[in-house]
Amino acid sequence: MTDAIRREILIPQPQEQVWQAIADSESLAEWMFPNDFEPRIGHQFTFHVPPNPKVNFEGLVVECEVLECSPPELLSFSWSAGGPVQDTRVTFQLVPASEGTRILFEHTGFDLSHPFGEHAFKGAGAGWTNMLKQLTSVVADRAAGR
Amino acid sequence: MMLETADREQDVFGAISHPARRRMLDLLVEGDRSVKGIAGHFEMSRPAVSQHLRILLDAGLVSEKRQGRERHYRLVPEQLAPVREWIAHYEQFWDDRLQRLQQHLSKKGQK
Repeated sequence: MTDAIRREILIPQPQEQVWQAIADSESLAEWMFPNDFEPRIGHQFTFHVPPNPKVNFEGLVVECEVLECSPPELLSFSWSAGGPVQDTRVTFQLVPASEGTRILFEHTGFDLSHPFGEHAFKGAGAGWTNMLKQLTSVVADRAAGR
Repeated sequence: MMLETADREQDVFGAISHPARRRMLDLLVEGDRSVKGIAGHFEMSRPAVSQHLRILLDAGLVSEKRQGRERHYRLVPEQLAPVREWIAHYEQFWDDRLQRLQQHLSKKGQK
């Protein structure tokens, strides 16, 4: 059992290049969402997850604050999307490897006591679970270039 | 019926929201234990331990069996399914994003 998401991926590009992709507003917009990120501790920014009327998803604003920023090794920001996902923490750690760069990704701090709280199964099935499902399809749509 | 499901899930999430109860589940992963065997790992009083176990029991995360004068507890891991599913949504989200990061980088590399 865990309340954290951890991933480890190996990317063939050098550390500096990977850092550019995760600590730059324009690059982040390309693989995450539109944002006003700046690479300095204490900077508050938002990700705008775009709406998708097709799946009845109204869009989502994720409030963030840079918590750690040590180029080209460590980037960490808070991630608040409301409900049970308040003040969670997203961390990217970049470790140089002989074949490129290892990215140690972590998303921690989910409030497990509250995931189906206010959002849950209220109204016309507009629960958090549902919203995440929709979010996933929005993401898939975008990935498919639609 | 939908609401019942939500209530049950609420119980499970509530049950694992306390660090002591998560620790109790960790202990039970290793094998069944008596209240005494569990209480030995905690600073808190025996009644407090029993109260935490009660919450785990109500959520269906553990089962209880009397052996002589002692109660033994066993983990019911299947009951953690809602938690796994909830986390899985987020894993899917990040898996997708990290894949996009890889694509973004390989595209840059070609320039």
